[in-house]
Amino acid sequence: MKVVTGVVGNDIHVVANRLIELSLNARGFEVFNLGVNTYLEEFFDAAVETNADVLLISSLNGEAEGWSREVKLLRSKYKTLDKLVMVIGGNLVVGTADAETIVPKYKKYGFDLIFHQVDLNTGLDTLEEYLKERKIV
Amino acid sequence: MSSEKLLIDVGSTYFKVSSASGIEQHFRDFNKEILDDLTYKCGETIHAYKKEDIYICSSANGGLSTLIIGITDSFSLKFATNIAFNSGINIIDKVIYQNIEDYSIPSDLIDVVIVVGGIDSASNIFGEPLLSYLDKLKYSNIVYVGSEQDAPKLQENIENLVVLPNIIDNRLHIVEENLKEYLTNLYQLDIEGKEDIKNLYTITSNQIYSTPYIVNQTLPFIDTKFTVVNPFILIDIGGATTDIHYSKDLVDDNIVTTNEYDRLVFKKLGVYKSKESLIFTAKNNEFVYELLTHLKVTENIFEEQSEKALQVLMQLAIFLVLCKMSHYKQAYINLKLLSINSIVLTGGITKVLADSEIEDIITFFYKKILNSNHKPSVVMDHNYDIWTLAIINNKG
Repeated sequence: MKVVTGVVGNDIHVVANRLIELSLNARGFEVFNLGVNTYLEEFFDAAVETNADVLLISSLNGEAEGWSREVKLLRSKYKTLDKLVMVIGGNLVVGTADAETIVPKYKKYGFDLIFHQVDLNTGLDTLEEYLKERKIV
Repeated sequence: MSSEKLLIDVGSTYFKVSSASGIEQHFRDFNKEILDDLTYKCGETIHAYKKEDIYICSSANGGLSTLIIGITDSFSLKFATNIAFNSGINIIDKVIYQNIEDYSIPSDLIDVVIVVGGIDSASNIFGEPLLSYLDKLKYSNIVYVGSEQDAPKLQENIENLVVLPNIIDNRLHIVEENLKEYLTNLYQLDIEGKEDIKNLYTITSNQIYSTPYIVNQTLPFIDTKFTVVNPFILIDIGGATTDIHYSKDLVDDNIVTTNEYDRLVFKKLGVYKSKESLIFTAKNNEFVYELLTHLKVTENIFEEQSEKALQVLMQLAIFLVLCKMSHYKQAYINLKLLSINSIVLTGGITKVLADSEIEDIITFFYKKILNSNHKPSVVMDHNYDIWTLAIINNKG
């Protein structure tokens, strides 16, 4: 199972990014880590080049929301990404807001799984269950 | 300069001969073959050297053309583009495979088509649309540098396909050596294949290299001859092309390669053979008329055949090359021009323009385009030392 991951936008939270890579590796995923400061196009392009199953975007400084508005439009330009599972996690808002407000918003942006201030392992457990349910594993 | 070697550079307009007694420069006679012209003008010097002591490089053919077919802008096309430029190849077009049916087919013969896409564990990337596109395309060579899993199928269906190791590794990093070597060799074969150049082997027993290639190889040693502060760019304005070599520090890019310096060849920015296209490019630049006023000339200068007209063309070439490298023109590469400490100029320009005339243009560019008072130091290679240093270092 291939996962492309990285930190979106002008966000340099490199430690969190590395922890995500290590945790995914420990769970047996083949990880393509684009690192910090990654643009949306690079995420999608990496998914095409690797033929990835999952795109896991992280954001710690809250600027994901600005970038995520472009996700649907950008993804629609790619002809080979129909089955890509879209995941986003971290701190997904500038200021404060609860998950009940944030999750529906990001669903609309085109994400399948949204983890706002959720513990990393809990998030990855949920991802694995999601993949199992949809028989993607 | 070496005292025991004879060094010859065959350009599109001039040839230069460097011997123990100094450097000679001659305008080429296009009614004669290169060897005849060379022997006529410098026969005495040439005959004073043994074949094994004569080293020749040439930029007379202006390079090869390529069309790249890749699957994404950020990886396959970007990596192949980088390698092609660094091998001195001119890129005619880039095609994103998923939209290949929407692209028009170039009518010119392409020297080499590069097909690339996917890491090695990805498969079934290319199919019928690629074959159908290639059927309509005129090309001399084709090379595949994508996922190894697609290679056998493509090799079966594409005649004379050369398959090389993937230029994208399993961490999505660039692997440039194999493709670079292939393209450099192709360029080399192209030079050697030209009848005119082939004849030169009657006076040398050493391999004839392309000039931009060996100049680029010499840049790490440039401070042995000049006071150059990194990061720097080197501009070589020739008759047919203008080459720019630059320190990697000037590029905001996440491509990790082993080379310290990259180069770009602008095929249509020369002051003799491609003078018309240089003027065309100039007329399409909104700042050029202001520059002409600054130089106290009008656009009528483009019609003139004078020393002054040549000076203006060279000044324009400097300005246009810097524009092409700046954020003003979104091109393949935008250099961090405000970080440049030195601009080195080599080629015929050093014989035509004074240091102050070049500094004037550079100051104009920084003020007008970058709105800055930044003044990198101008270093002039008046005696073609970069070329002689290059050819000596590459002779082995």
